Amino acid sequence: MMNNIRVERAILNITQAELAERVGVSRQTIHAIENNKYVPSTILALKMAQVFNKPVEQIFRLESTD
Amino acid sequence: MFTKFLLPPAAARIGWWLSIPSLVLMFAVIHYDFHFEFLEFSRAGADQKFFDEDFLWTLKSNNFTDEIGTILLLSGLILISFARQPDEDERIAQIRLESLLWAVLINTLLIILCTILFYQILFLQVMAYNIATTLLLFVTRFHGILYFERRKSVSHDE
Repeated sequence: MMNNIRVERAILNITQAELAERVGVSRQTIHAIENNKYVPSTILALKMAQVFNKPVEQIFRLESTD
Repeated sequence: MFTKFLLPPAAARIGWWLSIPSLVLMFAVIHYDFHFEFLEFSRAGADQKFFDEDFLWTLKSNNFTDEIGTILLLSGLILISFARQPDEDERIAQIRLESLLWAVLINTLLIILCTILFYQILFLQVMAYNIATTLLLFVTRFHGILYFERRKSVSHDE
């Protein structure tokens, strides 16, 4: 699964730590998601979409291998 | 995973204080036949026997250093293993589960290898180690991964 959290974060001008705090996870988790090393749960994906105020499909995209 | 079976984060500190000294103690017990005199038990009039009775309630004599050491070591390792991380989240829960699977797999493979390679007293010593190795492998992998990830992400925050 691909994501553009890094871009969305840049738009809001918030750090990984700030995003982590807003969605209630550790900073390492945000780091791992941004680097495609961890696929978040539906709950976490929806919380992130809420922070960026966008539908979840605009932030996360399926890849052909998924 | 967030609340079920997990202890408060402070349990880990108690766990380290319990398990490190008892790990050293158990090493001394297994390899140097170390025992505390004050843990010596003997029923009145009972002779020391190599093959004693089987149960706590029928036992004639015993030194309880190894029993106490084992219980302290296992309690400590359980406290470390099951303490919630201060920043516990879904990904840490996943690392926890993966580490548990990894530990059981590696431990089983090691036992199979030791069963083939070692015999007599040496095998019994391996089995004595085996009492704690699953938890030791788990703690090493789980905390190792968290430690390296935390170090890495501190230098990479953007």
